[in-house]
Amino acid sequence: MGQSIVGYTAVVAVASSFALAGGAQAARDQINIVGSSTVFPFATAVAEKFGNKTKFKTPKIESTGSGGGLKLFCKGVGEVTPDITNASRRMKAKEWKKCQVAGVRDVIEFKIGFDGIVIGNAKSAVALNLTRAQIYMALHKGSKARLWSDVDPALPNTKIEVLGPPPTSGTRDAFEELVMQKGCAKAGAGDQKFCKKVEIRDDGAWVDSGENDNLVVSKLQANPNALGVFGFSFLDQNKSKIKGSKVGGTKPTFENIASGKYPVSRSLFFYVKKAHVGVIPGIKEYLAEWTANATFGGDGYLVDKGLIPLRAAGLKEAQAKAAELTVMTGLENLK
Amino acid sequence: MADVTGDGSGLTKSVHTSDEAHRRLRRRYNFEWRFKAIGMAAIALAAFALIALLSTVLGNAVGAMRETYITIPVQLDMEVIGVAADADRDAIRRGNFDGLVRKSLRRVVSSATSRSDKRALHKLVSDGAALSLRQAVMENPTMLGQTQSIALLASDDADLWIKGYGDKFELLPSSGTATPVVTGEQVEIVVESSAFQTILLTIKQSLRDAATVLRQQAVAQGRGAAVFEGRLKNTSLIGEPRRNIEASLTGYRTQVADLTAKADALTKRAEAPGGYGELTTELPSFFVRINGGVVKVERASGDTIVGRPILPLQLDQSAATGSWRLERLLTSEDGRRVNDQQAVWLEELRNSGMISRTINWNFLSSSNSREAEIAGVWGAVVGSFWTMLVTFLLAFPVGVMAAIYLEEFAPKNGITDFIEVNINNLAAVPSIVFGLLGLAVFISFFGVPRSTAMAGGIVLALMTLPTIIIASRAAIKAVPPSIREAALGVGASKIQTVSHHVLPLAMPGIMTGTIIGMAQALGETAPLLMIGMFAFIREIPTGITEPATALPVQIYQWSDFPERLFEMKTAAAIVVLLLFLITMNALAILLRRRFERRW
Amino acid sequence: MFEISAFLIVAVSLIAFFVGRNRARLIGGNNASVLHSLPSYHGLYSGVCCFIAGASCLLLFGLLASYWIDFSLSNALLDDARQLPELQQERILSDARAIANNQIVSAALNERANEIRHSLAKTYSTWHSLRNWVVGGISFSLALLVFFTTNRQISQRFRARNRFERVVEAVLLISASIAVLTTIGIVFSLIGETVRFFSEIPLHKFLFGTHWSPLSGVFEGKINSESVGAIPLFAGTLLITFIAMIVAVPVGLMAAIYLSDYASNTTRAWAKPLLELLAGIPTVVYGFFAAITVAPLIRSLGESIGLNVASESALAAGVVMGIMIIPFISSLSDDVINAVPQSLRDGSYGLGATKAETIIKVILPAALPGIVSAVLLGISRAIGETMIVVMAAGQGANLTWSPLEAVTTVTVQIVALITGDTEADTAAGPAFALGFTLFCVTLMFNVIALRLVQKYRQRYD
Repeated sequence: MGQSIVGYTAVVAVASSFALAGGAQAARDQINIVGSSTVFPFATAVAEKFGNKTKFKTPKIESTGSGGGLKLFCKGVGEVTPDITNASRRMKAKEWKKCQVAGVRDVIEFKIGFDGIVIGNAKSAVALNLTRAQIYMALHKGSKARLWSDVDPALPNTKIEVLGPPPTSGTRDAFEELVMQKGCAKAGAGDQKFCKKVEIRDDGAWVDSGENDNLVVSKLQANPNALGVFGFSFLDQNKSKIKGSKVGGTKPTFENIASGKYPVSRSLFFYVKKAHVGVIPGIKEYLAEWTANATFGGDGYLVDKGLIPLRAAGLKEAQAKAAELTVMTGLENLK
Repeated sequence: MADVTGDGSGLTKSVHTSDEAHRRLRRRYNFEWRFKAIGMAAIALAAFALIALLSTVLGNAVGAMRETYITIPVQLDMEVIGVAADADRDAIRRGNFDGLVRKSLRRVVSSATSRSDKRALHKLVSDGAALSLRQAVMENPTMLGQTQSIALLASDDADLWIKGYGDKFELLPSSGTATPVVTGEQVEIVVESSAFQTILLTIKQSLRDAATVLRQQAVAQGRGAAVFEGRLKNTSLIGEPRRNIEASLTGYRTQVADLTAKADALTKRAEAPGGYGELTTELPSFFVRINGGVVKVERASGDTIVGRPILPLQLDQSAATGSWRLERLLTSEDGRRVNDQQAVWLEELRNSGMISRTINWNFLSSSNSREAEIAGVWGAVVGSFWTMLVTFLLAFPVGVMAAIYLEEFAPKNGITDFIEVNINNLAAVPSIVFGLLGLAVFISFFGVPRSTAMAGGIVLALMTLPTIIIASRAAIKAVPPSIREAALGVGASKIQTVSHHVLPLAMPGIMTGTIIGMAQALGETAPLLMIGMFAFIREIPTGITEPATALPVQIYQWSDFPERLFEMKTAAAIVVLLLFLITMNALAILLRRRFERRW
Repeated sequence: MFEISAFLIVAVSLIAFFVGRNRARLIGGNNASVLHSLPSYHGLYSGVCCFIAGASCLLLFGLLASYWIDFSLSNALLDDARQLPELQQERILSDARAIANNQIVSAALNERANEIRHSLAKTYSTWHSLRNWVVGGISFSLALLVFFTTNRQISQRFRARNRFERVVEAVLLISASIAVLTTIGIVFSLIGETVRFFSEIPLHKFLFGTHWSPLSGVFEGKINSESVGAIPLFAGTLLITFIAMIVAVPVGLMAAIYLSDYASNTTRAWAKPLLELLAGIPTVVYGFFAAITVAPLIRSLGESIGLNVASESALAAGVVMGIMIIPFISSLSDDVINAVPQSLRDGSYGLGATKAETIIKVILPAALPGIVSAVLLGISRAIGETMIVVMAAGQGANLTWSPLEAVTTVTVQIVALITGDTEADTAAGPAFALGFTLFCVTLMFNVIALRLVQKYRQRYD
């Protein structure tokens, strides 16, 4: 027994000391990306191509949500922190401050495309044409409307039932900002300050549902009166089962969102630590892959994955940033 | 007994033999029988649940069992690839194999000329096709410049279409001689019968449906008009406000008139005999197969169609009854992931024997990918292996030692009780709480790297520890005291007694418990979500400090992806996971059967 | 450097073991029985002492030295950059450390700061390598010292075995107390964020509020105390748990009764592995099953009888969770039913009772505490179950008792908050508060269940 215990202890001790050594000293040779679940499908596609094309390792991409990603990103510079974070919204002023305090001084911001936010219903249901003011009237907190026809007599007299993303989701944030707040202003419900604090009603007319959830589709199919709120890429994948309603008279099509005609779309971003460029191998090449026209341009492969590309000027700007690594100044209009 | 009750000779009936007693007995036996049946039903229900679960999984997994290849001749043109004849591996790696694959594909399907057609054609083949071709060339550069028949992996949409998860071409009755006339981009086909009546009927039905929708909208607007009419009647307003109401009323009335007019026009078109109709992408698709080509119908009347050739017509002559065919895809083009052109091309490729299906071994050997047709489980399996290794190295020695202490050495006092209560409680703490522990203590406080097998292993080890301790204690307790007494009697110390006699005898039980605990850990997902293992990791981890994911997390990740093929791959990955678990459990049962000793 | 020291200490320990054993053998000569302890115990004692002394010195002393270096470094900084604001001073310190360790640093704010941090880095790396040498050297010499002293102690009468065994016992005790450490760790990890959360939000608003939407309308990181009422989550969790128990308790209990008192050996031979298989299926698979098969099935069944069923109905998640818990209940009940003494059964049969009557009137009452504790453990399991509800239950906090509607649970919200898109610091508060609540509630159930089992044991043992 003596020998076996000694042997076992020795093996474990040696193995663990080597493991510790490996953890502490081996330089990281793989890009570490965190962030939004909305950008996740695009970033993974880019990372995979990048890994296939170059001799660098395929980056690790963790889906932490925009907030979680920025928290990890702004913890500091160094090998243990992520190099890049994806975000389905812009960095907030508070987060920027945190980054600065933690020494993440030079951050490169990339705007990479749009995601339209679509209000859709089942293919079999009546096509709707809503305005943002109507949506606001129907869905703001304190609204007494029970039927759509209570909002506007011309709308169908069906129950208001909207399956939308939960408050933890970036899509919800964007919906509140782009539809509810704008709708509030358009409906003339109050001044700018009032409209900034608009919330979505919580008396059952709005039902929080998982995002990108295949169940939402079957739910809409089962109930033709229900509407759903989701990203355009999701509509694109499920266009056999659901259709998008017009907002302000514009249909949520690829072209309309790309041209900016469709009013409800948000920008997608990712952020890079300049201090890591050149230290962690491959970051520059990864940026080049992201900002290639064949990737995020109008004919790029991300379009097939549901990304709505930037217009030419935006593409150029991102490409210039990738080449020159222009950092944020802190004077951007962060909220 | 029967004879006593039978003859009625005036003997008093016993309380046990009266009719009532019989009834009571029957009732009791009935109840007995029912009770037993309920017990059986419970077992049957559990069995049914298991079968339903497994058949769901297997039924979905079948779709991912095979993969589709499109085998076409590929000329490995060095100019297209952009490499020289003596290129090294690195140069070949950078080569444009995507372009090569696309070009070869266009050579086979030469009718794809427009930009959108080319795009559609390229989408039939997976990104993985170019990658494996590149791999082949890197291993054998002599291929460069030759023309070889290469099997290209089909994309997920094409794969599912070929497997029959989409729609199928349906043959419609056709008769009469058909005469095609090609004018520029278009083909007009006139037939000497009313063979195209079906198409026209479909179109007219859709017109009627559209009219119904418009009328519904008109009714809604009419309600609006009614509301404002009411207001106008009851109001005493004058001037501007009154005019506003009037304006709204007029607006609603115009809408009603417009919509009704549009609906009427549609109805009129639908009800009129004969006439032309347009096929939109929201309607079923119709195709005419004639003279070696395929024409997609765009407009139709009863005896004439106008359409676009997807495959060009080889001959310019009339085709007799039976030598041409009318086909239909019932789902609309909008409702499919494969458009009309792709469907026709795939059919054509299949007919010319270029499409083959093989068992999908790549699923087991490749790692995660965003392309459903390439994605495999190997990376996740390796990640799970490293995680389990860490879990085992931590949980097994600690668990066994803790069990030995508690069974053999612990004094009966408050501290021991406290430890025992703690262990029993830990066994029932929700796994997600262990995830929060890992996040706050190991990752944030001790700086264990996120998304690594090390972080996952530590968390799972803590989670498994109580299971191992409890099982080990039971196994140690099962060793009869006589063994200990005999050892102590010949002068062995307590430690010697335990390590030389008790532990070896308890080992099978301990191993069984450990394997079951490890199997639990292998299937655990929730705590790993908290510590960053919900990640896209394509590189196969080579150590415990490298980013890794685990098989159940991969399953969860895939179950969230929208592509249909991923749903099947999810099920296939579940099959892999279940195979591992069943093997482990079978091993545990075997160990128990083989070494279990009754004292 | 640390690795080399650790390696050296392990090597010394191994050498101590072999040398000690040989020395004991030599002392014993041909007659090993003159030794109090076997030679290997002498070796083991020596080796283990070396290892413990060396390793603990390395860790403790190394840690102390690191603190000392950090402390003196900030003192050095104070002399040099006293005028800079505090945040920048800290920044410079950590930058200096990063430079010394050849890690990534961001560009310095200005030339002065850059100079300071580079000079500091130099100091730091000097001290650091000094520390490594000193600590490593001391630990190594200590290990050697222990090696020589223990080696010299070896004699015929030296009670090496007893001493070694005391060390082993200590190690065993430490292993056993890891469970306690884990519990402390859990409480420690949950309590920090929870306390911070409750310093802003009154406890009663969280426990009794009926509106859960913690992240809507978050302005400047302040959570609105009106929207953190967790009652809808508790209600949803309870509803799903209740449905699960309605499925699991009767089925599990009847299965256990059938298997222990009715089933033939052959039935048992296939039914038991079947239940074990059900118990071995990972929850993520149950979640997939619930989402793909059960939820649509229940919805279409509901529709066929004219009911409007949500796709993520509590019923679907509950039923599947119930299936998951069946084997849990049945195996625990099986144990307690089998533990009822045979004499009770025989007595009942002797009075002419049927099997069913015996079970209902005699065995179940006798086994009741055990069964209740099994049910309680099952409930605690259902409350803490995550994957099934994440995949098959809703996200929205509806306060409803209808099993046909979508409800959300505590665990779903924890996952949503931790992996959501919102600012992570804000989301951590409610998430950890929920985690702490979950821990406390399951703990309570477990304690009650275990108490019941103990009482029950005392009655029949």
